[in-house]
Amino acid sequence: MASHARYYDGESALVHAVSVRPTAAELVIFRLGDAGIVARWPVGELAVLGDTAHEAVPPVVRKGFEARLLVDDPDLRRQLAAWVPQLAPLVTPPGSVGRRVAAFGATLVALVGLFWLAVDYGSEYAAPLLPYSLQAKLGASVFDELTADKDECHGKAGLAAINDLANRLAHAADYPHEITVHVIEGGPVNAYTLPGGILVVYSDLIDQAKDSSQVAGVVAHEIGHTVHYHPMKGLARQYGVDLMVKLVSGGYSDLLNTLTSGGNLLLALRNGRAFEREADATGVALLEKLDLRADGIASFFEQMMEKEPKDMAAAAGVWSSHPPTAERIAATKRPATGKPAFSDAEWKALRNVCK
Amino acid sequence: MSDATSPWGRALAQPAPEAAAAAPDLTPSRPLYDGKLAELYAIYLRHLVLMLLTLGWSRFWGRTRIRRYLWNHFAILGDRFEYRGRGRELLIGFLLAVLMLAVWGGLMWLVWIYVFHERPLASFGLFDIFWLSVALIGFPLAYVGQYAGLRYRLSRTRWRGIRCALAGSAWGYGAMASFLVFTNAFTVQLLTPVVSVNLARPRISNVRFGTLPFIFAGSSGDIYGRYLGFYFLNIIAWVVAAIIIFGAIGGTIGGLGVSSEDVLKLFSQFSLRTVLIVAAVALGAYVVFGLLILPLRCWWQAYLFRYLVSHSRAGEVLFATAISTRQMWGFLVLNYLIVVLTLGLGWPWVMHRTLKLIAAELWLYGAPDGANIRQPADRGPSFGEGLLDMFDVSGI
Repeated sequence: MASHARYYDGESALVHAVSVRPTAAELVIFRLGDAGIVARWPVGELAVLGDTAHEAVPPVVRKGFEARLLVDDPDLRRQLAAWVPQLAPLVTPPGSVGRRVAAFGATLVALVGLFWLAVDYGSEYAAPLLPYSLQAKLGASVFDELTADKDECHGKAGLAAINDLANRLAHAADYPHEITVHVIEGGPVNAYTLPGGILVVYSDLIDQAKDSSQVAGVVAHEIGHTVHYHPMKGLARQYGVDLMVKLVSGGYSDLLNTLTSGGNLLLALRNGRAFEREADATGVALLEKLDLRADGIASFFEQMMEKEPKDMAAAAGVWSSHPPTAERIAATKRPATGKPAFSDAEWKALRNVCK
Repeated sequence: MSDATSPWGRALAQPAPEAAAAAPDLTPSRPLYDGKLAELYAIYLRHLVLMLLTLGWSRFWGRTRIRRYLWNHFAILGDRFEYRGRGRELLIGFLLAVLMLAVWGGLMWLVWIYVFHERPLASFGLFDIFWLSVALIGFPLAYVGQYAGLRYRLSRTRWRGIRCALAGSAWGYGAMASFLVFTNAFTVQLLTPVVSVNLARPRISNVRFGTLPFIFAGSSGDIYGRYLGFYFLNIIAWVVAAIIIFGAIGGTIGGLGVSSEDVLKLFSQFSLRTVLIVAAVALGAYVVFGLLILPLRCWWQAYLFRYLVSHSRAGEVLFATAISTRQMWGFLVLNYLIVVLTLGLGWPWVMHRTLKLIAAELWLYGAPDGANIRQPADRGPSFGEGLLDMFDVSGI
């Protein structure tokens, strides 16, 4: 064994061209020039720092010392590895790089798929389990955020009427918590649901409704979201997907974060089409359960469609991420029978809630 | 510059007369990078798999493995670098930074309770105060973190068995950087050369290889002329770009006989067509921007980089580079596009490209006097990079 290696003494930045000779109990390192002994390392104290998957030349050291022996020669490395078991990391394990890349790549793709499924199902079942007080707190802070520069309407009788209807509907669905409806002055013709039983209705929607059953239909639809915990599920899904993007980009995500953070709170609250269909169906069912007129949802869509026959979804704002309107009208079409959801006095009060 | 000739090749051919007496060793050499992209990807993909399995907690160890690979495949004068950081050191640093932020949060909570709570001006909540304050302290802290992170990485870097180090105060650097960057913003970026040189100085002259200090001899006065040229050319380029973009949009609208009503209609009703048109306009603007503005910026950055490198030395070892504007474009713009367009999967490729670029374009003159460089007594910080991680500014 007289192949070349390099020795760093750990005290100065000198490089010694050396060779090594293993004996029974120690590794003798000697200079190539004059065969002067540079170091004698006991076998029991030998170690390799790193491995060949990461280091091109993993340094051999004596434990507790700063000096290093660098063995470039593959033959010498094999001999050393065969001689002392703890020098085995000097030798590259079999298995091509291509195979490793393929294996890890395939695992990664599979894991991304699994993660996606976990987010999908997890949000469905786990999100509603979050303590209700936290849901309510979250909903309240989002509400403050979204309505910070808007005026809220405070007509007592009108608010009482719409809150009463919302709570009756929620109660009919065995929803165990109180619903709070806020009316915000102005537009768009829109309503949305926040975590913790918070409903937000814009006054333009009330003003443009042909009759009280349309407003009742919209409230019933939103209660459908509430009783299925759609806002929480939507948020959980959004955070899950964000987390996945962050992980798959390797944690070096400051660039990507900027790109993907378009997935903000509002986007999280814009529920998917499945949520909308479910809320439509539940809304109609709840109205029918209370023997109320249940034609409001379909007639509201029809009215929107008349107004903007070409692109109803865009005009209606909140409905834009929703299923095709014609399909929803067909699914929610009901005869104009049943009790009105609001008495004449209540409806009048609701119309004037912002005055 | 061709690959074979060093930037100082011609100067070397005619040595100055006074140097003849005790001619310094100025043998040119370049670093060698012999990493393989496939090997790097094997490490990186394994890292991503573990990231998903551990919900991100493996990133400290993954980052460490990538560094070990990159450092050890990079060699100067035939000797490879060694990275001996540990994942758990990064974890501890991260936890300490989280703790620090938690303490800060508690402090802000007290402020909110005793100062703002139920006061008329308190239309903002606890979270607003917390994030506002973090944004304010975060700006200087990001610089502190950068410096401390550099110190950590250097303290875990060895060459010829000798540890590197970074002297100086990270807090001092953070304070100076914040002051300079703010002042520069208030003076419409006219102080950029002062900022660049003064931020580069501590990061270079505080570097130690063992007991050998690095030396930086730059001064902002040297580069002011070129910067002013860049500054005004940049303004002209923006004006030209704006004229081209608005001209093109106006021309298209007029040429196609589209009325302003049609345009309004297009934007009041979102459809696939709107999306396509907006995308086309954005792409056009980006191309104009990319052709005019970015090359100019790369030209300045390449110049600045050449200046900073050639005014640095480590003992008797001198540095130089002839990095070109095109190469700087590949480094700044192309690398950015690679990462973004591959959704992050291009990271190893970018690191690989960067090290190849350094190996091709960094020249060293002379060799260190090994016998006189000693191992430092100080082992450096015992944990690392928490602040860097917190403010999401860490690369590799």
